[in-house]
Amino acid sequence: MTDRLDRWADPPLLVLASLAGEPKHGYAITQDVADTMGVRLSAGTLYAVISRLESRGLIEPLESEDRRRPYRLTAAGAHALAVQSERMNQVAFVARERLRAHYGLAGA
Amino acid sequence: MSARPPQSGPPEDMLPQARAPQGGRLARAALSLYPAAWRARYGEEVHALLDDSGTDLRTVASLAGQAVPAWVWPARHLYDRPARMRASLATVLVAWTALAGLALVFGQLTQAQGFRPAGHPIVAWSYWVFDGAVLVSVLAAAAGGAPLWLLMLRRALREHRGRDIAYLLAPVVVPVGYLATLVVTLGLVRHPHGAGPWWFLAFVVGGFAAGGLFAAGPGLALRRLSPRGPAVGLAIRAAAVAAAAMGLAGAASIVAAVGLYLWAPSYAGYHQGWPLGIYLPMVALAAAVAAVSAGRGIRASRSAAAA
Repeated sequence: MTDRLDRWADPPLLVLASLAGEPKHGYAITQDVADTMGVRLSAGTLYAVISRLESRGLIEPLESEDRRRPYRLTAAGAHALAVQSERMNQVAFVARERLRAHYGLAGA
Repeated sequence: MSARPPQSGPPEDMLPQARAPQGGRLARAALSLYPAAWRARYGEEVHALLDDSGTDLRTVASLAGQAVPAWVWPARHLYDRPARMRASLATVLVAWTALAGLALVFGQLTQAQGFRPAGHPIVAWSYWVFDGAVLVSVLAAAAGGAPLWLLMLRRALREHRGRDIAYLLAPVVVPVGYLATLVVTLGLVRHPHGAGPWWFLAFVVGGFAAGGLFAAGPGLALRRLSPRGPAVGLAIRAAAVAAAAMGLAGAASIVAAVGLYLWAPSYAGYHQGWPLGIYLPMVALAAAVAAVSAGRGIRASRSAAAA
């Protein structure tokens, strides 16, 4: 089964990664996450995440445009994303090494 | 970091072709499930997102599903912490009163009948746990609530706030009034075999109505007087202890009632399962509401102390 590991993707991390590029509003975040990370965030999940990240000071709202309010990463959010990315790098490195050693998946 | 605003919506050719008005209505209904503070902060944005992306059943389900954690773990930045503590306190008081009322009904139908362990030690232990937990709960509620109650009463008296004085006196006046009515009514309707099941039911319904007034009075006073300070923090902690103890009493009463059903089927109608089917979910619901609200109140009091 190939498949839908993205369903276990960590939505807060996806949103932080999306906002690391530039400030975005809700729809732009869902589009960016879908286009660049291949995960479709639903409206309920997205705003639950936005609320949680804002509450923890990892993102902050900007002036609302029309009814669409953009958000941007804070310094604390950038730090959290950097720490998490490093951890994921480490996981990816270990996974690639073991796949190469035990399964011969050189291109993994 | 410079804030470069993004484009304000999707390009025209990317707009969803088929909008489902039905789905839109459902999504709006799902949004109405969220706490008012959440809707005030994010409602417009979510509507805009739905307008841009369209609505399907998955969206509706996700919105409805996320409403539950929005209630259970409210985002701290959306609430004034003292207000959060007061709201939690009022909710715990309502749930605690419901549990206390259910405990009274249980006590009246079992221990007050002179009925002692039905030949099984589990029922006897459950009675002991029940009695002890109710006692602890009442003491915790009285000890933790009294300072806040006195604080509010003093202020209401000083400022001649007649309505608030009445609200604050409800926990004293309402039980006395209910008991007086009970005694008088029993005196009038009593016959050799007791008051009968219909009167008992009327007393129970009246008791829960009195319990509602008992809890509503201080809850309204909390909202109107908006007290702050350590007395509120103490009250919310005491309310958590009182609610936990009353929840334990509820659990013990369920064990005892199940024990009576299993081991004393000939006694007082315990061979029938339906009273348990009503009692058990009511205890579980009231205990869950009390636990969630107490947790929220304590979280808010910790945040307020840390701030």
